[in-house]
Amino acid sequence: MIQREEVRGRLVLDASLAEAVLESFIRDAVTTAGAQGVVIGLSGGVDSALSAALAARALGPERVQAFLLPYRTSSPESERDARAVAAHLGIPHRVIDISPMVDAYFDAAEPEAPADRRGNKMARERMTVLFDQAKKLDALVLGTSNKTEILLGYSTVFGDNASSLNPLGDLYKGQVWQLARHLGLPSGVIDKAPSADLWPGQTDEGELGFSYETADEVLYLLFELGLRPEEIVARGYDERAVRRIVSLEQRFRFKRRLMLIARLSGSAVNLDQEIPRD
Amino acid sequence: MAATGTLLRIGLAQIDDRLGDVEANVERHLEWIARAREAGVDLLVFPELSLTGYHLLHLTPRVALPAGSPVLARLAEAAGPMRVVVGFVEEGETGALHNSAAVLSAGEPVFVHRKLYLPTYGIFQDSRFFGEGRRLETVALPWGKAGVLICEDLWHPDLARRLAATGVRLLIVPSAAPGRVGAPADTEGGLPESHQTWELLTRSTAVLNTCWVAYCNRVGWEEGAFYPGVSHVVRPGGEVVQRSPVLEEHLLVTEIDLRDADRLRWRLPLLHNERFDIEGPAA
Repeated sequence: MIQREEVRGRLVLDASLAEAVLESFIRDAVTTAGAQGVVIGLSGGVDSALSAALAARALGPERVQAFLLPYRTSSPESERDARAVAAHLGIPHRVIDISPMVDAYFDAAEPEAPADRRGNKMARERMTVLFDQAKKLDALVLGTSNKTEILLGYSTVFGDNASSLNPLGDLYKGQVWQLARHLGLPSGVIDKAPSADLWPGQTDEGELGFSYETADEVLYLLFELGLRPEEIVARGYDERAVRRIVSLEQRFRFKRRLMLIARLSGSAVNLDQEIPRD
Repeated sequence: MAATGTLLRIGLAQIDDRLGDVEANVERHLEWIARAREAGVDLLVFPELSLTGYHLLHLTPRVALPAGSPVLARLAEAAGPMRVVVGFVEEGETGALHNSAAVLSAGEPVFVHRKLYLPTYGIFQDSRFFGEGRRLETVALPWGKAGVLICEDLWHPDLARRLAATGVRLLIVPSAAPGRVGAPADTEGGLPESHQTWELLTRSTAVLNTCWVAYCNRVGWEEGAFYPGVSHVVRPGGEVVQRSPVLEEHLLVTEIDLRDADRLRWRLPLLHNERFDIEGPAA
């Protein structure tokens, strides 16, 4: 039976092949949709940097339009890093400040809203901007959610988890880092602590309460090898972390299956009638 | 090209297709048939469900054709003297739908294999939409006897063994096998993890049955899953003679001599020694 020391090695990807496959994925989706290219929100983090890099290689940099979508409390380092990514990839970028749109709602209707609700609104506001820009540019919205986030439900519904196509959705966070290094992305972007930057000082690992390395390995053992939580703990993983990972995964499953339809007919869309989207 | 003896030029058309769009896929088949004829191919193999795409789900009934359909006749006619193996959703005589491969020859389908093992696990949903085939048959080609096994059929080794035991020297395997990317490949060619396993299977089939194996897998994307291609031809004994690239449409042309299977069988009489009469524990 697998030992803890072996798990990290199992998560190592054939980076060259993964790159070729994911670039083919983006090319195929854009061609099939008859779109001109993709739009992507660059946060300054490694996920959006990797998605953009794959798209730039797949389509050519001129067909990848980046948007920097800061809120007034967003960290200046995030914007600096996002600009560095756009410059590194040679993709055009545009800055649109989302503060007026976000503030308009909260000032007018919900002035007491706490940070998490404001953060969710920011994530959704960014996605509405991206979908509007995609309409304008005849492009698809490129997603940036990785498998670890998706399984943990660490995302905003119809915010960062909404996109037209997502090349990173089957990569654990550690594999995102691995592929980012393989593509030679700026080390500042790869090495910094992951953050949704929804409020000052936020880090993913601080908020989640465990490291991405632990999350990747535990999720791998749960989903890919079918181990039970107690079997994972028996391999030396922190019991509290394992419990929390298992509980997040269960609690946020609804985020992976949006738009639950009440079935009446026997030909309900996506239940009785699974019509492929391709 | 006129068929002579046991020597033939086999072509594996590793193509992409448009899911659920038979009309568009027929046009593609005609292009690849023309290309193969130019290359002097005698026997051209298309992937599993090449006329329809694989992950059809509830589109399956909309793209079904009887084996006597003018669509197949049109391809057969375009093939001229070349034999062609093409994958399609077959509407059978009872109305059941099958995941089938037809051998086209001299302007018409002369043989149809219905997929016998329908994978229904993981991303595969075959038995929700298809009826199982019930018969295993051989097809007489001008160069010798051949068998057709579709994708999952090859994972049930009794079929290949039974075909080989009746004198089949060439196994034709149309496939729609999705790829997986794993750890860095340590084999040559940078094969996806999934298709290192596939080559293990095609090669061991060629070893154990002392026959040629021609494996034609599609390329492209459906519903977020990729099909890497890496179609290949394996010599009796297990050597990969030629392999197509990863994720690119490609026509792989290989000269093969079915007599090589006999030559190996004389030295390595595994089939001759095969016993179907051993008593023992039943499954």
